[in-house]
Amino acid sequence: MTAFDARELIGELTVTLDVDVLVGAYADRDGPPGDPASVLGTLAEHGIRAGAVASLRAALFDMRTGNDEVLALPDVVPVGAVDLRDPLGAVREIERLVPLGVRAIRLFPDEQGVEAGFPSVRHVARKAAELGLTVLTGGDVRRFWQPFAGLGATVVFLDTHFYHLGDFLVVAADEPGFHTSTRLLNSPDALETVPAERLLYGSRTPHYEPVVPLLRLATSGLRPEEIAAVAGGNARRLLG
Amino acid sequence: MIIDVHAHWGPWFFTMDVAALNHAAMDRYGIGRSIVSATEAVIYDPATGNRALDGWLATTDRHYGYVTINPRRLEQAEKDLREYLPTGRFKGVKIHTDYTRSPADSPQTREALALVAAHGVPALVHTWGPTVLDLAATCQDTPGLKVIAGHMGADGHRHAIEAARGCDRLYLEPCYSHAPARRIAEVAAAVNPDRLLFGTDSTLIDPASAFGAVAAARLDPETAEKVAWRNAAALFDLPV
Repeated sequence: MTAFDARELIGELTVTLDVDVLVGAYADRDGPPGDPASVLGTLAEHGIRAGAVASLRAALFDMRTGNDEVLALPDVVPVGAVDLRDPLGAVREIERLVPLGVRAIRLFPDEQGVEAGFPSVRHVARKAAELGLTVLTGGDVRRFWQPFAGLGATVVFLDTHFYHLGDFLVVAADEPGFHTSTRLLNSPDALETVPAERLLYGSRTPHYEPVVPLLRLATSGLRPEEIAAVAGGNARRLLG
Repeated sequence: MIIDVHAHWGPWFFTMDVAALNHAAMDRYGIGRSIVSATEAVIYDPATGNRALDGWLATTDRHYGYVTINPRRLEQAEKDLREYLPTGRFKGVKIHTDYTRSPADSPQTREALALVAAHGVPALVHTWGPTVLDLAATCQDTPGLKVIAGHMGADGHRHAIEAARGCDRLYLEPCYSHAPARRIAEVAAAVNPDRLLFGTDSTLIDPASAFGAVAAARLDPETAEKVAWRNAAALFDLPV
């Protein structure tokens, strides 16, 4: 044991559903290969019982084969990745996935070079809201709230940084379906500032260290029932 | 015991309310001592910020201070160094290259760091991306200077490895609000362990972030001890 042992601090915290898990690799960066066995192994090693898993293959190359890879994984919540560079194909893919039981889609605007004001984002947002799907989206929350506004959409912003917490809070006050991942809410009081029912544990395993948001949540000022909600209860409510 | 070499005292302009240092959080992570800079001095006015910090440091035996200097105001810097370093409460110098728009290789920062070297104390300098290489070059050109690359380049940690290899008076400090997988482990495997330090960016960032990232690296006990306190105690000549 060294001075940097997080196990005791994390204690008995168990995440029942991590909202931000990826399989596959990024072609433009070094990093883990993201093979499903190692990703699921990393989750298990950190006491994370299940993940809402999306495919980088689907996000970066081919929606159908990538999403089918995720649909074949055991014991995960499959998330349909769609390509905003092809809004018509994205909607066709959504319509294919819904009968297969998929309840959430994921957007990768940064990886796909898509800005919040592009028509494709609003087009996919409308379709998701119409079908009652939850949208997990990357991108700067200060911009990506806009295409979802006024639709009654259920959205989890995966990249909310605590620098932008105020922007999230003011738009979430008007949009009951807006939620945020905990991943980058690392200031000393961010988790305690967001209403607990709007917070979802997200790690971005295997590309980020899951222990950091685990530690922040375990040592937060939230009540035990709030921690349980953030650690998976809220995600189950949105994703099943 | 852990020594946090990158901490702050004072309020922030973001949506947060954490002006006071949280001793409970320090205790939770085993942080016995921290070296802080005044946020007012970093962001706005070194003269008033350093003065306020000096007053506060006189009330605590748990914290040491950085004299913050703005490379654009070297006359004030010289005055503050002469006034505060002899108190024994201040152990080094802080330079934020972004808030002062003074890159690490700019003429004014080179002059500022030469001034620091003449006073015989280490400087904590903000680095981001490849700017850590510029800091290494400036350090190499400045006899006697010892610098800490704050954030060790953040997303540029591989540049930080190259920087540390290029200048044996450059130390790396890891705090960063993101936690990319294996960032700390890669640096620890490639850099002389005598030049690794620990910092949190508290009170801007909760210590969970840096502590968790270092915990994820699973450092061997000898390296962990150096990172935790031994290297900081030697660099700043702190009693242990």
